[in-house]
Amino acid sequence: MSTLASPKTGARRRPFSGPFNWRRAIALTLLALAVAVSILPFYWVLRTALSTNGSLAANSANLLPADFNLGAFKRVFGLQSASEAIAEGGSGASINFWQYLWNSLLFSGITTACAVFFSSMAAYAFSRLRWKGRDAVFSLFLATMLVPPIFTALPNFLLIKNLGLLNSMLGLVLPYLFMTPFAIFFMRQFFLNMSREVEEAAMLDGAKHWRIFFQIVMPNAAAPIATLALLTFMGQWNEYFWPLLVGTSEESRVLTVGLGVFKSQSPQGAPDWSGLMAATLVSATPVLILFAIFGKRIVNSIGFNGTK
Amino acid sequence: MMNKKAFGAVAVAAAAALALSACSGGSAGGDTAKGEISYWLWDANQLPAYQQCAADFTKANPDITVKITQTGWDDYWSKITNGMASGTAPDVFTDHLSKYPDFLKTKQLVALDDAVTKDKVDLAQYNEGLADLWVGQDGKRYGLPKDWDTIALFYNQKMATDAGITPEQMGSLSWNPQDGGSYEKAIARLTVDKNGKRGDEAGFDKNNVAVYGLGLPGSDAENAGQTQWSYLSATTGWTTTDKNPWGTHFNYDDKKLQETIDWWASLAAKGYMPKLETTVGANAADSFGAGKAAINSNGSWMIGQYTGYKGINVGIAPTPQGPDGKRASMFNGLADSIWAGTKKKDAAIKWVEYLGSAACQDVVASKAVVFPAISTSSEKAADAFKAKNVDVTAFTQHVKDKTTFMLPITDNASKVAGIMKPAMDAVLAGKSPASSLTAANEQVNALFAK
Repeated sequence: MSTLASPKTGARRRPFSGPFNWRRAIALTLLALAVAVSILPFYWVLRTALSTNGSLAANSANLLPADFNLGAFKRVFGLQSASEAIAEGGSGASINFWQYLWNSLLFSGITTACAVFFSSMAAYAFSRLRWKGRDAVFSLFLATMLVPPIFTALPNFLLIKNLGLLNSMLGLVLPYLFMTPFAIFFMRQFFLNMSREVEEAAMLDGAKHWRIFFQIVMPNAAAPIATLALLTFMGQWNEYFWPLLVGTSEESRVLTVGLGVFKSQSPQGAPDWSGLMAATLVSATPVLILFAIFGKRIVNSIGFNGTK
Repeated sequence: MMNKKAFGAVAVAAAAALALSACSGGSAGGDTAKGEISYWLWDANQLPAYQQCAADFTKANPDITVKITQTGWDDYWSKITNGMASGTAPDVFTDHLSKYPDFLKTKQLVALDDAVTKDKVDLAQYNEGLADLWVGQDGKRYGLPKDWDTIALFYNQKMATDAGITPEQMGSLSWNPQDGGSYEKAIARLTVDKNGKRGDEAGFDKNNVAVYGLGLPGSDAENAGQTQWSYLSATTGWTTTDKNPWGTHFNYDDKKLQETIDWWASLAAKGYMPKLETTVGANAADSFGAGKAAINSNGSWMIGQYTGYKGINVGIAPTPQGPDGKRASMFNGLADSIWAGTKKKDAAIKWVEYLGSAACQDVVASKAVVFPAISTSSEKAADAFKAKNVDVTAFTQHVKDKTTFMLPITDNASKVAGIMKPAMDAVLAGKSPASSLTAANEQVNALFAK
């Protein structure tokens, strides 16, 4: 996200007026290059989605769609029959798009709501309550951020399996449900900076921790909560490995996994690239929309936390 | 957000699920000849044909409907295995020779002998040998053949013409493990470097190749070189196992195989074939479609893929004749099997018999995707391909000339693949000579020593 932060040193100058400045030209070129490099993959996804499969291989170096065609999107939304799809050089495979989309929304929504809520409570305990060994416990907590998720994947899988929760939404969300160390750390940083006076005033009025948390701390933390929620949601939306292990039934398969499966048809057969890219594009859209609406807020709140 | 009550609900749900899981599984069988049965397959290209079959079937048997689910190859087998363990496998599914021994071991398939006798299924209608492949070590039959495939060479006709190679020459190539014969000459001739120099010309730059003579999809140790090298090794008289099916001794230590593999790996070293590491994550067929390779050896199920590339005129040539003066192709056949846990066994048997009948296989033939197992139906498929302007003689010739050999069927298939793949990859990558396969072979044979 470094490209988003603009340096604010020196007086504000309009970039395209005044005498020619080599430094500025170089900076602008680099910036343009960085933007191009980050946008190009998205463009390539779109270009492939709008192409016809049979023409893709021969036109791999062409920037424009090869044989412009909307069939891939029709395939994604199930508007095309298998024989039509095959005639277009796609695969007859269908992707159960709406079901997977719903699963992805459920998976990301539930985990986000719960993780943010429980992490905020934990962060409150770590920042506003005084108890013996608090900082030691917190350090231990932070240390768990250093454990790569792959280490816990197998034990978690066995646990979920033994609970009989494989192929269920509950099994899918359970490991993410209560907290993540990052979320606690993130919220704690914010809570630490909240003024004590309001809280003390509330206590004098007889409010207990429960009430302070819900009526004072949480409302005041709306901005960071929104940020955390968005970050968590995006992370969950893109999660692949755990849903791949646990959610293999149609009822519990999320979009990322669905797309991965869609990729392989017959052994050695080439994937239906345009269908795959169209589905990828459509599945990325909810997150892109969320980011377009809340993106500025994220940047602001991260900046806010970082400068203190 | 989750409140206390909801959390309680979650805990209850978890406990309930736990209790349920404890008493599931177990009982199987039952024999209703009505209701909905589930059928799984992996090849999306065949989906329309089988949807047609299912509709026709229901018309003839109004009490039974068939729900078809297609799942990509990578996911297909794990879903079936998981389904068998958790009691949610399909009633009927497309089965593969390399996978079904594992299912037999765990008793997951229904033996079809009684039904075949009772309903007088004519096993002679299938292409020779196909039906026998599905008889297990216990002598019982576990599948009815649905289709077969052989190997041929897909080549880029324009590249061949540019190189001065006629279709007749492409159709009469010969090969030997010492100098590669006219097959290697054609591959070298079709290889072009960035400066336009051909592989058989002086000054050929093997490190900057624009078009490879032969494409490489990987070492394919999993399926005993089905599409990559078995059509070569078999012409030396080599066989994968001591007997087939149900061999218990592998022959990867045989010099005949090792010479073949050494020759094959040398193509990459000479710059005629891509290096293994450059093919990881890439698709060989797409590279062919992009004009980066002139010849690809591949199976008949890929005809649709190869002829589907726009702007490329694809020729199909038979595999080269080997030292024994003959061509060779692995012969692989799929079948439909019934899961032992089905609750609708009678309906499932009816459906499998229909899938194995000329009625359904003619429908499959008419779509020109694969060759059905029934001889008369596969002739119809050849005609359907012809109607699409695709000459498939290179594939059917193997069956007519009886130059096929069966895909090796053994126990421990996945363990064998686990040992052979890294060993074969190392040879192909030029990291070890083919003689290193001897050590891998010992490990493989040790699996059967118990």
